[in-house]
Amino acid sequence: MSKKNLFTPLSIFMRKRLTSIPPDFPFNSSQFKCSTSLLSPAPSITPYDRLLHEPSRYFGNVRVSIRSVCSASSQKIESRCWNCHAIPESAPFLVCQSCRSIQPVDKSIDYFDIFGLEKNYDIEVKNLEGEYKNWQKKIHPDLVHSKSEKERDFAAEQSAKVIDAYRTLTRPLSRAIYLLKLEGIEVDDEQTVSDPELLAEILEIREAVEDAADSEALNHIRSEMQEKLKHWSNVFADAFQSRNFEEAKSSIQRMTYYERVTDEVAKKL
Amino acid sequence: MLRLVSKRILGAASREVPAPALQVLPRFYHERVVDHYDNPRNVGSFDKNDPTVGTGLVGAPACGDVMKLQIRVDEKTGKIVDACFKTFGCGSAIASSSVATEWVKGKQMEEVLSIKNTEIAKHLSLPPVKLHCSMLAEDAIKAAVKDYEAKRAKSTSTEATSEEKAATA
Repeated sequence: MSKKNLFTPLSIFMRKRLTSIPPDFPFNSSQFKCSTSLLSPAPSITPYDRLLHEPSRYFGNVRVSIRSVCSASSQKIESRCWNCHAIPESAPFLVCQSCRSIQPVDKSIDYFDIFGLEKNYDIEVKNLEGEYKNWQKKIHPDLVHSKSEKERDFAAEQSAKVIDAYRTLTRPLSRAIYLLKLEGIEVDDEQTVSDPELLAEILEIREAVEDAADSEALNHIRSEMQEKLKHWSNVFADAFQSRNFEEAKSSIQRMTYYERVTDEVAKKL
Repeated sequence: MLRLVSKRILGAASREVPAPALQVLPRFYHERVVDHYDNPRNVGSFDKNDPTVGTGLVGAPACGDVMKLQIRVDEKTGKIVDACFKTFGCGSAIASSSVATEWVKGKQMEEVLSIKNTEIAKHLSLPPVKLHCSMLAEDAIKAAVKDYEAKRAKSTSTEATSEEKAATA
């Protein structure tokens, strides 16, 4: 691959270059689709890992054009450390590994990415705390007192995002709501619900909380709520797995009601 | 004595909202909302199975509120003679349902269907974030009326069939 060929037209270049890439390049059909269908919008493409690490050899000045075509991958190709221009070695890219500079918040990184988790409802909550503390050791605003205002702002935002992520993922209800939000479904709409069974049940329970004579009765109600929360958690998990979003949404509504009762009980105790 | 006077003046002054040089407005509940909360009116329950009673049960899943509004209707005139409510939720939700029960008393059933949530919200000076509470109250009124009419329709149809049976017998 000689450098003089870098200035050939993109189409010829792509055809020539990509077919002659060394065999250990992770080359699968989806990447090939991106290269040949230059003018049509590219589907979700895996990043060109090898190309990423030796960009000047393969693409150099042509990176601009590829960016506009393979827009999904370009977001990942483009992110480099703003300070030392090193390429991120691992996802998610919150801190540069070579110069330790904290990076600006990348909106495409969601809470599950931060903790290196699959977008599932059933996650190991115990592991979250350790991971959370590890991140804060690297991006906490207290670590950047002496650095530029730009970096201090980055630290504040990244740290806030990690805190949000930790809080959202630890609690089952917020995790469920967040999962649906990632799928584009907003559960928090202010629409009134009139499922008479559910409402009658909740009304009864709330009345019981009001009339509860002692802490024993309240604790009894609380443990009932915990059971119901667990049950509907499982219903949500199954519904989400099978992509049945209507059922997932109604499970969340029920869980919201039970959480509310739990809060009221806690207030009374 | 001067100290007493100055304290009193300061006491009066602190109750006023500070002059708007750098103003972060504190958010208060409107005094009407507080009034409904402190002096609840029409709280209670009617017998659900009473044929003259319509029950509206609505909930807001986003905040976990539940609202039950019941009306007692005079069969002959179609006028709402009594109303009561039971609401588990925030102060605004409680006040909205309380206002709803006050407004429906003495009105015709068709008339109360035209009560809008915006009117309730205006009466209570609800902030935008609490508008859904007034919406809930409006829905509760409609649900109560609907329930009563459904009950009446069922009872008149059973009456008709029993009359038929008596005629054919």
